Amino acid sequence: VSAGENGAPHIRGSAPPPSLRIQIPPMRVDDRPPDAVCDVAVVGGGVNGSGVARDLALRGLSVTLFERHDLAFGASGNSSGMIHGGPRYLISNPSVTKSSCLDSGYIQQIAPHLLFRIPFIMPLKAGPLGKVMLELYDAFFRAYDDFQPLKRGKPHTRLDPSDIARLEPGIVGSIAGGMTFDEWGVDGARLAVLNAVDAREHGATVHLHTAVLAIGRAPREEGGPAAYVLEARDLETQRTLRVKASVVVNATGAWSPITAALGGLSPSRVRIRPAKGIHVVFDRRLSNYGVMTEAIDGRQIFLEPWQNMSVIGTTDDDFYGDLDDVVATSEEVRYLVQGIARIFPRVREARAIGTYAGVRPTMHAYGPYEDSLSREHAVIDHEADGAPGVYSMIGGKLASYRLFSQEMSDRIARDLAPGTVCTTHQKPLPGGDRVPDALILAAQHELTPVTSRRLVYRHGSRAGRILARMARRPSERAIVCACEPVCEAEVRHAIGEEMARSVDDVARRTRLGLGACGGMRCAARCGQIVAEELELPPREGLAQARAFLTRQAKTRVVAMGPEQARQEALALAQMRSMLGTKGDA
Amino acid sequence: VKRVVVVGSGIAGTAAALAASTRSARVTLLLGRPGATVLASGALDRVPWETGGQERPIDRDARAILDALDAYALPDGDGDGEDDRGVVLATTAGLVRPARACDRALLDLSSMAGVVLVPRFDHPAWDGTTLARTWGDARWATEHGVTFASAPAQLTRFTDERALPDADIAARHDEPDRLSWLADRLAEALRALPRRPCAILLPAWLGIVRARARELTARVGLPCGEALTGAGGPSGLRFERARDRALGAARIEVLADRALRAARGPDGEWKVELESGDSIVADSVVLATGGFVGGGLEYSPAGSVLAAALPPAARPLARATLDAPVTLVARQHPVETPSSLSGSPPESHAWPYVEDSLLDHLGVSTEPTGHVAGAPDGLFAAGELVADRPRTWLDALEGGVRAGLSAAT
Repeated sequence: VSAGENGAPHIRGSAPPPSLRIQIPPMRVDDRPPDAVCDVAVVGGGVNGSGVARDLALRGLSVTLFERHDLAFGASGNSSGMIHGGPRYLISNPSVTKSSCLDSGYIQQIAPHLLFRIPFIMPLKAGPLGKVMLELYDAFFRAYDDFQPLKRGKPHTRLDPSDIARLEPGIVGSIAGGMTFDEWGVDGARLAVLNAVDAREHGATVHLHTAVLAIGRAPREEGGPAAYVLEARDLETQRTLRVKASVVVNATGAWSPITAALGGLSPSRVRIRPAKGIHVVFDRRLSNYGVMTEAIDGRQIFLEPWQNMSVIGTTDDDFYGDLDDVVATSEEVRYLVQGIARIFPRVREARAIGTYAGVRPTMHAYGPYEDSLSREHAVIDHEADGAPGVYSMIGGKLASYRLFSQEMSDRIARDLAPGTVCTTHQKPLPGGDRVPDALILAAQHELTPVTSRRLVYRHGSRAGRILARMARRPSERAIVCACEPVCEAEVRHAIGEEMARSVDDVARRTRLGLGACGGMRCAARCGQIVAEELELPPREGLAQARAFLTRQAKTRVVAMGPEQARQEALALAQMRSMLGTKGDA
Repeated sequence: VKRVVVVGSGIAGTAAALAASTRSARVTLLLGRPGATVLASGALDRVPWETGGQERPIDRDARAILDALDAYALPDGDGDGEDDRGVVLATTAGLVRPARACDRALLDLSSMAGVVLVPRFDHPAWDGTTLARTWGDARWATEHGVTFASAPAQLTRFTDERALPDADIAARHDEPDRLSWLADRLAEALRALPRRPCAILLPAWLGIVRARARELTARVGLPCGEALTGAGGPSGLRFERARDRALGAARIEVLADRALRAARGPDGEWKVELESGDSIVADSVVLATGGFVGGGLEYSPAGSVLAAALPPAARPLARATLDAPVTLVARQHPVETPSSLSGSPPESHAWPYVEDSLLDHLGVSTEPTGHVAGAPDGLFAAGELVADRPRTWLDALEGGVRAGLSAAT
């Protein structure tokens, strides 16, 4: 099912090729009464799932979203954090580059607070082909310049070696010259959260930490359209929930084949090639610009200043492991550090404070190297499998989530809401209507400029809601996480307004505990607040903090050097003393 | 008279120096950089508390050192080991947990019955309401019928104290006037309560020079003490003061110099070379340089993940930072060169990938006397530098005492 490789994104009604036609049990009929009825059930709370939920909710349809973990738990929250213009498609398929750049521009309009410019330098090594490569890349980026204005990108500049030495003194070695290009950074987790929050504010129901157990067929009324019943379980309360929907969207990324199988559909119909990518996070901005370079195998890798840290990435490897527990390995870290250090050796002295890993749901193809796999997307219509109204979204990338969501929603609206149009490129995401001046807020509310800046970055105009909380209860001004920083009011806001249910969820929404201290100073306090807000037993908050700290240690240890080993030993000693590693005494 | 050099000034080194001086040795102690003891939190464990194996009481020799330090509360004063229950502490993370003994500023909950008051006031690191709720939910509290209740009490005096770390406020309470002010605020809070609580649990604020819990308790008329906080709290600073007083009283020579090398000459004398270029000659040397936290051990596989691309040679994954005739072992086996030039992956020997990890065991092998196994006579090791020992405060203290006594005889 590898159609759409070169931009033919829709696979409609085509029967599976004979080789993939295997016997599967048919979708069973579920005639028990549902707890709720809606138009569309979306399975998966990544950017695509929450993007579809928002799009359809804005068109007036009733939507229920199910997510087994948390919003942006998978690839969406573990990406390179860029809304890029897709220069890699420039030669093979310039229309993809154009639509990527156009959509980057839209995302900047609907969430201006969440995007930040990352100018990139691509230095080219001197050598026999150095000059030729320089000309080739110059021509390449001249073509890219045609699309750059769509995403408010500046045209490329050709740099000579002295320019590079001046702009980015950390770059060493014999350089023939280089290029600049402009990309935009984004917090992918917040992007998914804002889409889900907006969907909910427009009537959608969002069930997080709720696993879909089965998708069955609702008993068909005479002459009526097909309908489906999703049986789901809240993994925390263990409560079971049954929702009837006319349309089911499988937007579960790397989990897509599993989700399809829950509905009795052949996993081979939504076949993807799961590709793991990891990133290493450093405690500060190591460079002025993003730096593109090549790894030992010739793959492109990068170092980027990202918010108040630096990130290096990324790898691309076939992945057959447990999707619920994807972690970077020390081998992958070595591969990246080695590649970056070849041109930027200072990375070896920097302090790695963590790693993160995700699995891309790339479209399946047997044969190509991982990197050559398409990042394009496709909608699979399961009418061909006898399940009209069931769709799977496969492939895709962070930068095209809105467009992909629109394509999916347009298809659904044709049947359920004819005459409606997509407005997700015009209506701002929550907080995106206006970006307050961080320095003015800092002065007005007696915050440090850094606290104010980070608050505005994450919440845009909705920073005002958090500041209003602080005004009502001054004790909520307390800084819980000093590294980021995150104040108590923001933690409570993430729980009350953004559906966070655990320390982990709060971290995903606010970056609490993801800084240099690794959560040692804030996880326990955050657990106390979560337990209090959600009326959980306080012991549960402590257990959440313990789980979070253990998981964070796991992501740090793989990037361990002599100094980190010292910190890890201290962190473990402290955790043992203050929380215990095993549970209550 | 034996000449003893102790390298390191955490609890193991301090105990070794004090123990050796009780045997009339001439002791020189080399001050180290802050390590595990200074970063510790004031709970004195022998084994990690979760494993529950705390039953063996503190022996007489170790008790003598604790008495000399005069900063720690022992659950049983007579030292006969009977009725030695240990203490129970509340951590600011929200846990209530046992320990063998503790810093004298901490509140021992073990003998409490009734309601413990948790003052509520405006300070970012102390949410009295939530803390009281969380402690009350701890298994120990429910099993022993101890409850926690928060009540308002204005304990910060100046506006800057809202943003001040615990240790800085603790230093302010060394002032007698300020301590009386605190006692008055607590008395006020108590008067507003319908029923008198059994104790008052406070942030880690009660003194740096000395623990002020006893004085406060006397003035308020109720047991008052600190909750257990994490690294960087006042307890480590109180240890340093107590150590300096005890070393001074024992007339131990203290040098602020770093030892680089310890080697035994053909005449049987040990020579310790110092960073300043000086050297000291001694009959025995006690290494108490610490583990990974203290810097006595360094994790340095040939190609640690961020280090050089092509290391010059493969080597074991850790080394002792002081040049001395020691070999590193873990689980009684020498640590070997890994079969990868880049070093073995940290996932295979570090928590949380491995529960009882190699890095927790790694260190110098010693005999029961503290003598370094395989080394010439006169070389001893104690504390977290020693292999296959729990990384705890009391184990370091007892190891230090053994090494110090052996070094002096």
